[in-house]
Amino acid sequence: VHFVAVDTAMASLSEEVLLVVKRVRQRKQDGTLYLMAERLAWGPEGKDRFTVSHLYADIRCQKISPDGKAKIQLQLVLHTGESTTFHFANESTALKDRDVAKELLQQLLPKFKKKANKELEEKNRMLQEDPVLFQLYKDLVVSQVISAEEFWANRLSLNSVEHSLSNNNKQEVGISAAFLADIRPQTDGCNGLRYNLTTDIIESIFRTYPTVKQKYAENVPHNMTEKEFWTRFFQSHYFHRDRINTGLQDIFSECAKEDEKGLKSMVTQGVKNPMVDLLSLEDKTLDEGYGTATVPTTSNSSNKSLRENSNSAIIKRFNHHSAMVLAAGLRKRHQILTSLFVAFQVKLQEAIEYDDLQGDSGRKTISLNLKKSDRYSHGPIPLQSQHYSTSQDIINSISIIQHEMRSYKPRLTQVMSSSAASSAITALSPGGVLMQGGGQQTINQLVPTDVQSELKHLYTAAGELLRHFWSCFPISTPFLEEKVVKMKSNLEKFQVMKLRPFQEKIQRQYLSTNLTGHLEEMLQAAYNKFQAWQTRRMMRKT
Amino acid sequence: MDEEPERAKRWEGGYERTWEVLKEDESGSLKATVEDILFQAKRKRVFEGHGQVRLGMMRHLFVIIDSSRSMEDQDLKPNRLTSTLKLMEFFVEEYFDQNPISQIGIITTKNKRAEKLTDLAGNPKKHLAALKKAVDSTCVGEPSLYNSLNCVALPSGTDIKEILVIFSSLTTCDPANIYELIKTLNALKIRVSVIGLSAEVRVCTILTRETGGSYNVILDESHFKELLMLHVKPPPASSSSECSLIRMGFPQHVIASMSDQDAKPSFSMLHLDSTGEPGLTLGGYYCPQCRAKYTELPVECKVCGLTLVSAPHLARSFHHLFPLEAFQETPLEEYEGERFCETCQGELKDKCVFTCLACKKVFCVECDLFIHDTLHCCPGCMQTDRTS
Repeated sequence: VHFVAVDTAMASLSEEVLLVVKRVRQRKQDGTLYLMAERLAWGPEGKDRFTVSHLYADIRCQKISPDGKAKIQLQLVLHTGESTTFHFANESTALKDRDVAKELLQQLLPKFKKKANKELEEKNRMLQEDPVLFQLYKDLVVSQVISAEEFWANRLSLNSVEHSLSNNNKQEVGISAAFLADIRPQTDGCNGLRYNLTTDIIESIFRTYPTVKQKYAENVPHNMTEKEFWTRFFQSHYFHRDRINTGLQDIFSECAKEDEKGLKSMVTQGVKNPMVDLLSLEDKTLDEGYGTATVPTTSNSSNKSLRENSNSAIIKRFNHHSAMVLAAGLRKRHQILTSLFVAFQVKLQEAIEYDDLQGDSGRKTISLNLKKSDRYSHGPIPLQSQHYSTSQDIINSISIIQHEMRSYKPRLTQVMSSSAASSAITALSPGGVLMQGGGQQTINQLVPTDVQSELKHLYTAAGELLRHFWSCFPISTPFLEEKVVKMKSNLEKFQVMKLRPFQEKIQRQYLSTNLTGHLEEMLQAAYNKFQAWQTRRMMRKT
Repeated sequence: MDEEPERAKRWEGGYERTWEVLKEDESGSLKATVEDILFQAKRKRVFEGHGQVRLGMMRHLFVIIDSSRSMEDQDLKPNRLTSTLKLMEFFVEEYFDQNPISQIGIITTKNKRAEKLTDLAGNPKKHLAALKKAVDSTCVGEPSLYNSLNCVALPSGTDIKEILVIFSSLTTCDPANIYELIKTLNALKIRVSVIGLSAEVRVCTILTRETGGSYNVILDESHFKELLMLHVKPPPASSSSECSLIRMGFPQHVIASMSDQDAKPSFSMLHLDSTGEPGLTLGGYYCPQCRAKYTELPVECKVCGLTLVSAPHLARSFHHLFPLEAFQETPLEEYEGERFCETCQGELKDKCVFTCLACKKVFCVECDLFIHDTLHCCPGCMQTDRTS
């Protein structure tokens, strides 16, 4: 039973085709070889279909015929042991064709090999980490109740929902605006500074400053170690506040120039918001205490004081940092282009209305539409009248209690403490101390622990099989029909191969308690359901 | 006479201009007026919970707890995280008490990532255990609203309709545009509410407004508790949900004894993983469809997926659908009758007294709130003889 049907028809040409080689013979037939993004395929001359198709993940290795041989061939060996041979038959280009195909395959196969191994690794890891799963595997697969494929097919579909929540590695992470501040240099006591770099911070630096990432790729590990790289980074003028281009030749001086270029292009691009006019943003002064007292200088750089120069350098650095952080976050997503006019209207609306000042509109609710609401005030009424054998005593007691309840007046000083009351209620509730059938302790003493734990394994295995059985209903597709038939036979196999031997074993140990009765009940419930479904199906067919 | 319509308008209009109401007392403190506002809001809720409204009773709620550095702040004692987790334990218990057929899942967010603390489940035990353990966890980094909302919105298996975020930080570090995620949440009809621990944050305002949830910022620990408890009540159903029949099983509790002829000891399907107690038991609840056994209800059958409940579980949620009628409010001056509250026997000293329209008994303000919030039935009516 397969969960995914693999389509090998030409429809899969929607996959990207990487290489086409004509005049390639397979099994003495002329045809064309196609190398695609995930698979290799071959189709005979003149036909539309592929007769041979292999996923790269299924290919174990490739072999080529030795140089000098007349026939120029390439052989693919699959994991299953099967092999397919292609004969390159174009007189002039056969060798070149074959070598081109071989090289491409050499590049592609390792990529997919990792995937296949990864799955196996994942499976092994799951079995090692979860002893219950391992036991289940032993009980079901090793004893041949179900096949390994079925076992994993069922398991993996269970985990996919959990995976998205628990797999931390797959989460994309934003860049904290303060990531440089998080580095928090500490003095190490000998006139030096310690910078604490975590993987997160390194990733943030790379994403925000792609030029630094480039430098890292170019220099590490050929020219310097990682530690040296980062030491130089923090020493460079690029990193420090007084980032004025001194022209010093360190590997980061280019980064500063790149940043300048980037910043200039951002400024020329401008802002798409029609309500924002960047050029009119200036420090304005109204009066003493409101704004700066100095007259705003012209943009002529020679007039600027030294202080203003370093101020503007810091401001430029902040702006650049913020712009890069935002851009790095948005780089992976497409920019949604809304029409300029709609954007303008929305902005205008936002500027003139402030939602907080509006009244609470109150939630729209849907009214309840019950036909007979008094049905909810009491429980279901039995269809048949019950006959009780009553004695006059019982009738009298009931009417006395009813009378007491009617004339009850609270005497708050003479009530039970709440803890006494709740422990009395707990003891009288299902599962409570006063509600145990006799012999609770004795079963656990009668049945030895190893028998109990074996029984638990049987329960787990049966539960797994039954879960798959019941999940087939309601049966709406032929696939489910097949599956339910298969699961029913799996249940029967389980009963014969695992349950019966266990029953015989405990009988030999003279344990008289019926330990497998409940499991048999559960299996019988499943068989009954299957029977009912089959009968209905047959009735529909006739 | 002119004052009355003004007063009524303010009370019913939901405080459109709240700053007008705030008045400083002699020492310049706003505390008294703030408390008064809170109390009035509480009373208003009693009246609002009226008119038979369709509710979403089989709730699937995810709670996202901020575990960032800001949770180490000690303005809540001993620190925000411990206080929050303690209140969450109380919330989980109340939630399952009022919504027996619902489920909760808990997620934490710190260091720009989201982590699942507990899966969506209908049994409070696992959640309580996880919350107790989480007190020892470290608070580090910035939270990520995007990542935590995203990991709830992604899996499409269950019908997650509500998210509650307890948000303490003033920033969130997101890998992508959160406004796009808000659109996705809207499309999935998920309602997000936020309880802020520091101050109002614009992105939370927009998030809750767009998805139809509520946003409040706490004043102190008792206000925090109150705001949390607001989410225990089932919310009104959204317009798009249709009526559907839901299959449920109502197993009877079976007690057996070893002396019975066909005594069949069995394991509960939920006790197979644990190595210790409880072991084989004789009684329990057997699923009517597949005969799997469980020791507690409500539970979702692990084998056949049927929801197993007991009738009292459903009945316990009925008071949400059929709330107790509001009592008639009369100013104390106009009231002529017994000077003592029917239930607490205390002297009636408040501004108003409340009369049950059915049994004509009188109650004080506190008892009236207790009767409507917790008891859901009038003690006076319980005493009078009712013909069924």
